[in-house]
Amino acid sequence: MNYLTIALSKGRLADLSIEMLENMGVDCSEYKNPSRKLIFTDEKNGVKFFLVKPADVPTYIEYGAADLGIAGKDTLLEEDRHLYEVLNLGFGACKMVLAGPAELQGKLDQLNNKRVATKYPKIAREYFEHKRRESIEVIKLNGSVELAPLVGLSELIVDLVESGRTLKENGLVVLDVIAGISARMVVNRVSIKMKSDKVNWVIEGLKKQLEARKGESSLPKF
Amino acid sequence: MSKWKIHTPEGVQDILFDECALKRNIEDKLRGLYRSYGYFEVETPTIEFYDVFSSGTGLIPQETMFKFFDQQGRILVLRPDITVPVARISATKYREMPYPMRFSYIGNVFRYNDYGGGKQSEFTQAGVEVLGAGTSEADAEVIAIAINALKAAGLDNFKLDIGQVEFFNGLMDETKLSDEETDLLKVMIDRKDYVGVEELLGKCEMGADLKKLIIDLPALFGSADVIDRVEALALNKRSLDALENIRQVLNILDDYGLSKYVSVDLGMLKGLNYDTGIIFRGFTYGIGFPILTGGRYDRLVEEFGRQCPATGFSLGVSMIMTALQRQKADIAKPCIDSIVCYSQKGRKTALNLCGELRRQGLIIELDLSTGGVDAVKKYAAGKNIGGVINVSDEETIEIHDIATGAVNKTGISELVKGCRI
Repeated sequence: MNYLTIALSKGRLADLSIEMLENMGVDCSEYKNPSRKLIFTDEKNGVKFFLVKPADVPTYIEYGAADLGIAGKDTLLEEDRHLYEVLNLGFGACKMVLAGPAELQGKLDQLNNKRVATKYPKIAREYFEHKRRESIEVIKLNGSVELAPLVGLSELIVDLVESGRTLKENGLVVLDVIAGISARMVVNRVSIKMKSDKVNWVIEGLKKQLEARKGESSLPKF
Repeated sequence: MSKWKIHTPEGVQDILFDECALKRNIEDKLRGLYRSYGYFEVETPTIEFYDVFSSGTGLIPQETMFKFFDQQGRILVLRPDITVPVARISATKYREMPYPMRFSYIGNVFRYNDYGGGKQSEFTQAGVEVLGAGTSEADAEVIAIAINALKAAGLDNFKLDIGQVEFFNGLMDETKLSDEETDLLKVMIDRKDYVGVEELLGKCEMGADLKKLIIDLPALFGSADVIDRVEALALNKRSLDALENIRQVLNILDDYGLSKYVSVDLGMLKGLNYDTGIIFRGFTYGIGFPILTGGRYDRLVEEFGRQCPATGFSLGVSMIMTALQRQKADIAKPCIDSIVCYSQKGRKTALNLCGELRRQGLIIELDLSTGGVDAVKKYAAGKNIGGVINVSDEETIEIHDIATGAVNKTGISELVKGCRI
C-alpha cells in the first residue's frame, strides 16, 4: 500500500524524466500506451507517477501528495515551497536573467522607477529587494515577456534565456544573470525520512546515470 | 453587504460533531499524559502585545502575525505560538518559583499566510515546556513525552528526528562567513539544497575537510552511527559538545525504551529563530508536514528579564487528526445510546429515568417532538440510536431494540436497578 509517488513536469522536462526513470528499471509502459489515465503505476517496484504543470510540482511535493518530483529550478525559486532539493539533474539548462534595451547597459541606477515585466514575480522581487536593494513595480505576464519593453509596458524584464536569440532579435540584452537554472529532483520533507529506502533508491539510480553521463563525481553522497 | 455571511474566512474552519469528538478525545489524552509527568496546564491570552513576539532576537516574522491596535494605538497580535507567552509568564508571574518549572498548554494559535495542505491559519497546539533545566535529561524528558503523546493520540507509525543547532554553529566558528552568508547557508542546509550549499561554499575559502563536511551536512541523517562517523573528524569543542549532547539524549531515550522512534539529522537547522541546542521534529505517514516540533531555547526567557535554560515541544492537534484520518485509524464516533419518549402521565418518571441513566454514564436523548413512539422509532433508526424507551406511566415502560425490533416491557424500579440498556 505504500507506493512511492512521483510528480513530473509536463512539457520539455517530461520525456527526459521518463527516460531516466525507465533506465533505472521503472516500468513506464502505462505512460506510453495511449489512454486517458492520469496516474501511472509500476506494481513491481511500488511506484506511481503522474504529470502536472511544471509550476504545480512543488505544491504536490510540499503537501505530500507526491513524495518526490522533478521540476525546473525556475519553478522552485518562484514557488518557494518547503521541500528538499536533493539533486541537480543538469538537463533543461538555461539562465534566469534581467534583460532590457541595450541603452540601459551600465545605466540601471539612473532609472528611478523601474517597471519589470515577468512570468516570475517572486524571483524578480527577491532579486531587486535583496541583491539590488531596490523597490520595483512588477508587471506579471503569462508569455511573450520580451514584448513588454518594446511597447513601453515596462523598462525591464526578468525571464528565462536559453540561447539569447529572442532577446537579440528584439534589441534586448542581458543586464544581469540572476540564477543558473536546470532540472532538479525534489523530495517531500517527511517522505525522505518515512520512505527513505525507496527515495534513496531513486536518488542513487538517477545519480548513477548522471555520473555515467558526465563522468564527474562532485555530486553529494548519501 | 451580507455577501460573505454564509462563509468562513480562508484558513479557518468549523469543527463538526465527529471531528470535534475526536479532537476532544485527543486533547483529553494529551492533557492527562502531560499532567502525569508533572506538567501543569496554563492558559495564556489569545491577544498579546506585538512586542512579546517581536522584541530582541526577532522571534517570529511579522508578516505571519494577525495584527490590530488597542485604543492607545499599541499593536496587538493574535498569539502565533504559546511557547513565548509561557516564557513571559515564567519570567514575570512565576519569577520566584524554584527550578525546574514545568508547563503544559492546549490552545489555538494563529498564523497569517501559512495555511494549506492540512495547515490552517488557526490551529490547536498542545505542548509542554520545562524551564530552568539545561541538562540532557531535560532534553530527553521532553522528547520522551513527545513520543508518548503521539502514541496516546493514536499514532503508532511515526518518527522523531533529532538535531543540534550548536553542531552547525561550531562549524561556523571555524569559517569566515558573514552573518548573512551563515543565515543563507543555514536555510539551504535545512532544505537539503545540496546544489545551493556547494555553490555558496565554492566561493569561500576554508579547509578542504571542513568544506566537505559542510557540503555533506544535508545528508548527515539516519541512525545514531551518523554521530560516530562525524565525531572521528577534527572538530572544535562547540561541535563536539553538541554531538555529546545528542549521544547522551539518545542513551537516555534508550533507557526509556523509546530508541526505535528516534533518528538523527545533523542537517536539521531552521526550527524557530530562538533554537539553541537539541531540536526535533516528528513525522508520520499521510501528512507532508512535521506534526510536532520542539527544542531547546536557552536565550528566550532572558528577553523577559530572567536568565533560564528551557526546552519543550508543541504538537499540532489538527495535524494529528488529519494523519489519523488518512491512515484510516479506528476513530470512535459520538453516538446516542437511547432516546426516551413519554406520554403525559409518564413525564415525571421519564425525566427521572433519563437522569438516572445519565448518571450511569449512558448518553440519553429526550424526545422533544411528542409525536408518539412510532415517529420516535423512525427517527432513532435514521440516527443510529440503539434503543427507544417509551414511558407510558410508572409501571409501563417499553424498551424497543431498534436493530432487532424486540420489545421488552418493564417497570421503573427494575429498570433503574442498574440494568444497562
